[in-house]
Amino acid sequence: MNKTEFLEKIRSGLGGIPQKDIDERLAFYSEMIDDRIEDGIAEEEAVAQTGSADEIIAQIVSDYPLNKLVKEKIRPERRLRAWEIALIVLGFPLWLPLLITGFAVVFSVYVCILAVIVSLWAVFVSLAAGSLAAFAAAVIFFIRGFTLQALALLGAGLFLAGFSVLFFIICRAATKGIFRLSGRAVFALKSRFIRKEASK
Amino acid sequence: MDIQLKRGLLDVCVLAAIRNGESYGYKIIKDLKPCIELSESTLYTILKRLESSGALTVRTAEHEGRLRKYYRITESGINRLDEFRNEWKEIISIYNFVCGEDENE
Repeated sequence: MNKTEFLEKIRSGLGGIPQKDIDERLAFYSEMIDDRIEDGIAEEEAVAQTGSADEIIAQIVSDYPLNKLVKEKIRPERRLRAWEIALIVLGFPLWLPLLITGFAVVFSVYVCILAVIVSLWAVFVSLAAGSLAAFAAAVIFFIRGFTLQALALLGAGLFLAGFSVLFFIICRAATKGIFRLSGRAVFALKSRFIRKEASK
Repeated sequence: MDIQLKRGLLDVCVLAAIRNGESYGYKIIKDLKPCIELSESTLYTILKRLESSGALTVRTAEHEGRLRKYYRITESGINRLDEFRNEWKEIISIYNFVCGEDENE
């Protein structure tokens, strides 16, 4: 791939990001490639050393703040006509509830996911508390002379303790997984705002 | 390595690369190579961050019939390097404490 193709490939993967920012990025990569060539490296090799276009696109998108992407997306490409503005204003009883509903849905999905995590941890806490209580009860029963009952409680305590350790591992994995997943969801959301131009 | 720590270290590395006079992107990457491998995209993000925090200034100049951006360290960038030096003394003494313990066994 030569320099022009490389820069064009990056540009076509970044539709939706303001032109000014793209130009600045491309100028940076272009300067790098030119400096490599000046250093005696062949053009194709200089491009290859700069990195893969797809990786660069992915990194730019993940660096780019989501709110700026949205702003860029909803900015109309031309000035709105009077009747379009009138329509938007008149239609607000319709789109406002829809917008609120949209936000509410996203919010409730988040709350549900958090609720799952919270309840998992709650189960862990109750298991741990249960095992402690069983140990304490076992000691009391033993002191009072109910050896058999104390042994039974000791067994129950051990069982609960083991179970709570297992549950701790599950909870931690689930929490980590959810956080990683939500990071990926944000990336996917950002990608929605990037227009992929038809590759030539 | 911890992301926050790594980010701070990369910032300081780039500042150190322009400490003795202004430099440009490719030269920074080349100068840093013995110490750390930096990709273009990473460097771009670091330079942007340092520029917006006022640690360096950028100027565009012509070179061989094309434009090249030159980065110059500012007073606040130099302060940042000094801060790093002082902080690092602390970290080294912590390191010696932590790792010295193992050798004494």
